[in-house]
Amino acid sequence: MKVLISTDKLSKHYGKGGEIKAVDELDLEVYEGETFGLLGPNGAGKTTTVRLLNCIIKPTSGTATLNGDDILKDETEVKRVTGLLAESPGLYEKLSAYEFLEFMGALYDVPKDILPERIDNLLKLFGLHDRRDYLLEGYSRGMKQKILIAAALIHDPPILFLDEPTSMLDPRASLMVKDLIKKLANSAGKTIFICSHILPVVEELCDRIGIINQGRLVAVGTVDEIIAQTGTKTLEEAFITITGGVEEKELLAWREQKSANA
Amino acid sequence: MPTPKWLVVARNEYRIRMNKIREIRPYFPYLVIGLLAVYVTFIAPRIVDLFIDEFLAFFLSQVAIAMVQILLFTIFFYFILLPITNTLKEVQTSQLEIFLAAPIKPSDVLLGEFLGVMPFYAIAVTLITGFFTAVMTPLGLGMIQIAITIIIFIVTFFSALWIGTVAAALLRTKFGKTARGKDIGKALALIIALPMIAIMYAFMGGGLLETLADPGTSGIVRAILGLLPSSWGAEVIFGFASNPGNIGAVGFETLTRFGGLIAFFAAVLWLGMKAANRAYSLEPTTFTASKAKPDGFFYKTVKYVGGGGSFGSLLVSVFKDYSRRLENLSKIGYIVGLLVLINIFLGGSEDLEGTLLMPQLILPLLAAFVVGEVTLRGKETLFIYKKTPSGVGRLVKARLLHGWLVVVPIAGTITAVSTILAPQTTLISMLTNTGLMMLTLAASVAFVLGLSLLNPAFSDKSGNYVLNLMIVMQGWIGLTLVSLIVFGRAFDLGMYDTMLYVTVPLSWLLGIVFLYLGKRRLSRIE
Repeated sequence: MKVLISTDKLSKHYGKGGEIKAVDELDLEVYEGETFGLLGPNGAGKTTTVRLLNCIIKPTSGTATLNGDDILKDETEVKRVTGLLAESPGLYEKLSAYEFLEFMGALYDVPKDILPERIDNLLKLFGLHDRRDYLLEGYSRGMKQKILIAAALIHDPPILFLDEPTSMLDPRASLMVKDLIKKLANSAGKTIFICSHILPVVEELCDRIGIINQGRLVAVGTVDEIIAQTGTKTLEEAFITITGGVEEKELLAWREQKSANA
Repeated sequence: MPTPKWLVVARNEYRIRMNKIREIRPYFPYLVIGLLAVYVTFIAPRIVDLFIDEFLAFFLSQVAIAMVQILLFTIFFYFILLPITNTLKEVQTSQLEIFLAAPIKPSDVLLGEFLGVMPFYAIAVTLITGFFTAVMTPLGLGMIQIAITIIIFIVTFFSALWIGTVAAALLRTKFGKTARGKDIGKALALIIALPMIAIMYAFMGGGLLETLADPGTSGIVRAILGLLPSSWGAEVIFGFASNPGNIGAVGFETLTRFGGLIAFFAAVLWLGMKAANRAYSLEPTTFTASKAKPDGFFYKTVKYVGGGGSFGSLLVSVFKDYSRRLENLSKIGYIVGLLVLINIFLGGSEDLEGTLLMPQLILPLLAAFVVGEVTLRGKETLFIYKKTPSGVGRLVKARLLHGWLVVVPIAGTITAVSTILAPQTTLISMLTNTGLMMLTLAASVAFVLGLSLLNPAFSDKSGNYVLNLMIVMQGWIGLTLVSLIVFGRAFDLGMYDTMLYVTVPLSWLLGIVFLYLGKRRLSRIE
């Protein structure tokens, strides 16, 4: 299988002397047509990894290639082959859905003769065609998320990065987004890179997952492989085993302390 | 061929700013161009005709060059500040990710953002340029001289706007990534307006015109301002005014100064494009999180004032939340600065009673800024109090006490200093002035708190917030005028007696009534 995303000791360090290692020597391969999930607790380095792979920030050391293009040497090409749904993206709320997608299409050089039709198709796909001329400020969170996914797809990129795609959505919108991701992977053959800390989403959608903790990739494989590696029964238990967590007995310690004081 | 990226961004910016008048968007440019054409060809010349003798006398006077230099510098400075202030008021970086993930150069984003807003700035530039051209035309300037004059105005103002746009983009990146940075931005947005106000007051009552009439002083001002690009065009224009229709007479000056201005514009344009990479970045700038220190003497005293128990802790929390926002402190700084500038440029009152007037009119705005903040953090913060036992009463009490502890001492200090600066001050008059002002301001705190709860504004962009500020300002001016004119004259009372027997009781009556109504409204708010 063709490797579409490949990182080579990709690192991003911050602070004096680089003591904060947001991403530390990440070596990862994602195959064409695969849905890959990057799991990790808050602050583990998921968003930094996505930003590095989308050339939004520059690595401290190491590099990566996407569809054969190097993130350091072929920045523009990398940006053309990727679509990004950011974790907390900025929408232009004073634009209508159509205007926003038109703007995004122009940014990604989608030819003028096919852009209107593509926008219409995407709006129909997401069930928003009737509201195409409404300003985005009046959209619900789920509708905004749909528009942002449509914006990530506007230039029909082979690689799609989705950073926490369902974290802020209600169950109905979340189900719709999950169905869409499945369709994009199965029918459209997209390579999808999902970042999330919602384990069931990753478990349901991803062919393989990687677990990142404190900037380091600590496990890679299918869900079954990771569960087997950790000797646990569920992905949740495997995740806690790998990344660490609060012991059950510690949870109510503060009450016991209070009783003792009393 | 794909559309240039800067044009895509510019079109987007234009659309965003036009969203309120979407229905007339296609016709808007024609409408504006038509109106501006009418202004330039008919209205501006007619206005100039009304004052033509004064304008001609002005152009031949000693103060003219220095005056126009100051005027151009003021507008130049204002146009630099305009994009910066607009950006700092609400630092937004969320859209940066869209640009950074797309195949577009930062310089294209910067240029696009500048050009997208340019049509709106161009309206202001056309109004100013049109007026100046109308003033210059009766002097008999040739076509080339008029054309150069227009270019000078456009280049000068657009240079300033470009500098402002680049600085705003850099500041946005610097401040936009942290809550602290955004707070600093909001604080700066208000404070940087003070130099503009200082220049305005200097024009109004600072004796600037009289000072410039002196050839020595005027020469110094001209020499200093002559170093700034905003003045280079002014000197060319005055060269034309002295030699109308004869461009050759000032050929060298025109070449060097006009050429210098064009070179300056090209240089700032180039430097701005170079700085664009730094203006569009999501690289974190700091990893230092703000950390609370243990309570010192000040907070311990506040807690003591609050009774030392749970209410004392609540009062301390209100103080901490208020004073850790630089935006709040900058509002206090702004009002204090305003009163200092008034004293410097517009002069304190000659009589002791008169020194009360300006603080009486301006300081309620301080109360509005300090206490009006009560609802600005959103409805949820009010619900925290509503959920707790006797929460509404405790919130009102804590906010009232907080307002008094912040506003009243500042009002007292400002009034005391203003009074000391007045001639023939005695200790008694200073204490009387200070006491009266503190009493009135304490009432205004109660009034503003009541008003803010009665008509809550959940954001400083809300119409309610602006309305409340207007009510406080106009209400206090009205109260003062009614006290002085109606009661003062009717009963033949002096300023002191009017304040003591009319203004203070009336302001307290208003304060108590509004506070009661505000508290009742807060209990019912949903």
